[in-house]
Amino acid sequence: MTADVIFCVLAVVSVGAAAAMIVSKNQGHNALFLVLCFSALGGIFGLLGAPFAAAVQILVYAGAIMVLFIFVVMMVDPRAGIPPERRRRAKLLGVGMGVVLLFELGVAAWGWLGKTASPVPPAGGPAGTPIAVGRLLFSEYVYPFEITSVLILAALVGAVVLGKKEESEP
Amino acid sequence: MNGFAALAPLLFLVGGAILVLLLGTRRNGGTNSVQAAVSIAAIAAAGFSAARLWGRAVRAFGGQLRFDEAALFMTFLFLLAAAMAVLLGMRYLVRHAMPRGEYYGLLLLAACGLVIMTATINLLIVFLGLEVFSVSAYALSGLNRRDDRSAEAAAKYFLIGSFASAFVIFGLALLFGTRGSLDVHQLALPETGGSSALALTGLALVVSGLAFKIALVPFHMYQPDVYEGAPTPVAAFFAAAPKAAGFLVLLRILVPHFQTGIRNEAIIEFLSAVAVATMILGNFAALRQRNLKRILAYSSIAHAGYMLIAVISGDPAGLLFYLANYLFMGVGAFAAVIALGGPGREILDLDEFAGVGRRYPWIGGIFTVLLLSMAGFPPTGGFLAKFYVFSTAVRAGHLGLAIVGVLTSLVSVYYYLRIVRIMFMKEPERELDVDTENPAVYLVLFLCLYAVLQLGLFPGNIITLIRQATASL
Repeated sequence: MTADVIFCVLAVVSVGAAAAMIVSKNQGHNALFLVLCFSALGGIFGLLGAPFAAAVQILVYAGAIMVLFIFVVMMVDPRAGIPPERRRRAKLLGVGMGVVLLFELGVAAWGWLGKTASPVPPAGGPAGTPIAVGRLLFSEYVYPFEITSVLILAALVGAVVLGKKEESEP
Repeated sequence: MNGFAALAPLLFLVGGAILVLLLGTRRNGGTNSVQAAVSIAAIAAAGFSAARLWGRAVRAFGGQLRFDEAALFMTFLFLLAAAMAVLLGMRYLVRHAMPRGEYYGLLLLAACGLVIMTATINLLIVFLGLEVFSVSAYALSGLNRRDDRSAEAAAKYFLIGSFASAFVIFGLALLFGTRGSLDVHQLALPETGGSSALALTGLALVVSGLAFKIALVPFHMYQPDVYEGAPTPVAAFFAAAPKAAGFLVLLRILVPHFQTGIRNEAIIEFLSAVAVATMILGNFAALRQRNLKRILAYSSIAHAGYMLIAVISGDPAGLLFYLANYLFMGVGAFAAVIALGGPGREILDLDEFAGVGRRYPWIGGIFTVLLLSMAGFPPTGGFLAKFYVFSTAVRAGHLGLAIVGVLTSLVSVYYYLRIVRIMFMKEPERELDVDTENPAVYLVLFLCLYAVLQLGLFPGNIITLIRQATASL
């Protein structure tokens, strides 16, 4: 029952944050709404009894990738387009969002720490734990896993070649 | 059969890509011809190791890697397209001051992605292969950094392609949720029940994602812009190779459904509507274009419509034959565009082509044969391909589709022959600055001419291969 309630809250927050991200015209808000959405998703993963996916979702997406994103947004100065009387409202909204975010992170952490919240106990032992995921990655799913490394190589080369400054031909 | 023999074609391609990229960092080893030679050698090695797998029903990684004959046939097509793109690029890259090592490396990775995509029946692997191809393709289309249109092409392709990937992955989630597997044989829809609708939605999303890659109407919008902006050798590679991969995957997904017969009518009606829209829109939009690369882009959309007829009438052999033909017609047409280009600048506007056929009769002549093949004139391969597809459609009871196909082919004759007329019948307005020191491009042109005539006049050998390939589906 508690799990259902938590799921409903997380689902509403994640969909709402995704919608708000699309509607909002401020790049900084966009990025923060995306963090909120990702965190809520992390909580849902935790509820489903996939602690590894939940932790990775929050560490990698909400943590690392979004921090990079916000760095870039800050460099192009998102406040240039906002009139001053709206800044106060924006600040209040920011505080509110921060509180919600903290709450979400707490829920997410509780989701994967407290196993009691798991509504679907995974069959056949602790699937979804880091050990189980790691074992699957290097046995049953080693082929897709290695393809992913080729994918990352292609993305890396592509990003470098499109991003680097043009040099004079020798 | 151990896993390494099955992996060898992929290993050669990835290894070749890494080697070329590393060569680019060295001052002496990084010359253009060395890098091109390494790329060609890697492609040849991959082709050889793939040929050794023919007829041995190779499976590895619990069936996740599966080189059946259909996958091997496609692999040969991709490798040929990649090899021709390497040859087309050699001089073009220098002419347009484009990064070289990255071009060859990304090309090999793109080909590798396409091979991964076709050599499996697991849709998760299909998705990963598709992504490997797509990511390389986005970068390839933006390689010409002196041209804003190239950057535009890369950005558009990236955004639209990301949407397509999101469609596919959402569809895969629904399919996995309802069917518990991503094996194409497990995906045949259940008779009734709530999960049937979800599975159908998932299937529709996956097919839409593939339609983006094949550029079927209404998912074709990006294609003309990408072809126009991308470097021409890259456009030549895009013309046939990704379509071939997309169509084989489509075939693999749909064949089990056609066999069970559940919801057959709905699927066939949906695909027929798409095919008709694709043929009509592709051909009629091509009539209004003045830019040669855009004409070829719309013509490739129209050809995808004809190929979809082969899928609908359950005719894998016709589809593979059409794909093999289109590979040479598509690459050859872009090769002719490259052959008629000048140093640092390409001739793309139709009016500028006035009289080039008389000035350069060999290039103009081969280009004419390739265009006639696209339009479907005998004795070229294009004629036989269309003949097979339309006659099988009639026999399978899709008379309406065949009629639309024939009528739109007649429309297409107008814009193909208009290019020929401008090349040969019009007086040149001014002397063109054509770079004729380009032997690699001439090699590709002759290869395409030979292939189109061979497929049209003596198709026996390749049809034997195609029969073996379709038997493995």
